Amino acid sequence: MTAATGTATPRRASPESPAPPTAATLVRLADERATGALHGPVGALYLADGAVVHAESPAAPDVGRRLTAGGRLSPETWEEAVSRGGPGYRAGGFLVEHGRLSRGELELCHLSALFDAAYFVLCPLETDRRPPERFLREARHWLGPVRPVPVAAVQREVCRRRELLERAWPCPAVDAAPVVPVPDAARRWGSGAAPACGRRAVLEAADGRRTPVQIARVLGRSAFATLLDVRRLAAQGLIRTPAGPGASGTSPENPDPAVPAKAGAAARQGAGAPEVSLLYRIRDALEAL
Amino acid sequence: MANTEAALQDAMTSIEGAIGAALVDYGSGMALGTLGGAQGLDLNVAAAGNTDVVRAKLRAMEMLNIQDSIEDILITLGSQYHLIRLLAGRGGKGLFLYLVLDSKRANLAMARHQLKRIETDLEV
Repeated sequence: MTAATGTATPRRASPESPAPPTAATLVRLADERATGALHGPVGALYLADGAVVHAESPAAPDVGRRLTAGGRLSPETWEEAVSRGGPGYRAGGFLVEHGRLSRGELELCHLSALFDAAYFVLCPLETDRRPPERFLREARHWLGPVRPVPVAAVQREVCRRRELLERAWPCPAVDAAPVVPVPDAARRWGSGAAPACGRRAVLEAADGRRTPVQIARVLGRSAFATLLDVRRLAAQGLIRTPAGPGASGTSPENPDPAVPAKAGAAARQGAGAPEVSLLYRIRDALEAL
Repeated sequence: MANTEAALQDAMTSIEGAIGAALVDYGSGMALGTLGGAQGLDLNVAAAGNTDVVRAKLRAMEMLNIQDSIEDILITLGSQYHLIRLLAGRGGKGLFLYLVLDSKRANLAMARHQLKRIETDLEV
């Protein structure tokens, strides 16, 4: 599905859509039942027998960060698993065998991290970067196999997530910019107690400098879920929406001629934002009645 | 010490009247595992939809300033029960178990009890 729509309209692809060559490459690697790593500056997808077994991206907190940030494992326990289980490509198995984690916990944490990273590998936040196209055969990840996911399932989920973001608030400019709460955001959010809901935690971690990805890292939670929360907060008018192309994270020395047009599109969306924002807030207010 | 697939299998076989079960990440609305759910019940769609239910309830609790956590949510339909159980363990943060039961065959108290046990198996 990704490949079909992607190849039909490559020129109109939004900054977030996976580049068609990568989608096609993935499908081919799955058909070949290939083992190795599809890698590039935005991260890597590891395959074993044509299924995705691991994904990593600098944007998404990895399994170790997720387990240690919330205090589930101590950093020492994690380091021990990496140093003793890693060389044999089975750090995950090491944790389970030594009773540090249950099989279920490892699977859940790993699956969440896999889909999270896969999103940022196939839809890079930096508009000038492309999904990876180089494939290193026989490369394996030190965590070891946990639960393989079919390539088609990963691609389907990435598409679903992209649509989810667009539905929440169609403004990619907020994805890479620092999250700046509006002055009375905390008061408008209400005086709730514990930050149970994700959005409240995001709002509290937003210090005006951290980007959504940095907030996810601090909280040790999914970067995609944080991105989604940030877009919803923007739709509610609780955080500022960056207006100019400079705020969208595009580097000025960008050599790609397609990017200024994309940044321009983002700026146009930004310019139209107050109206849309107002409509969203009116809708929310009506729903709250 | 169960893995996710075994936990869902356990839910489907040990809970009387179970039609479908899913383990859902409510940050993204994605089902990390599904089992059963035939006859027009798409568990992936249910996972995404019920994520909104959980989010709305968490938000309502925040607005009411209730300092507590949700253990489970029961939705009673004419012919089905939908049971949502939030995973409380530190590793399961942001996940819920979703269970669809045939109301004619199910014993609700027993189902809740079993779901609690399955949650424990998954995490400990």
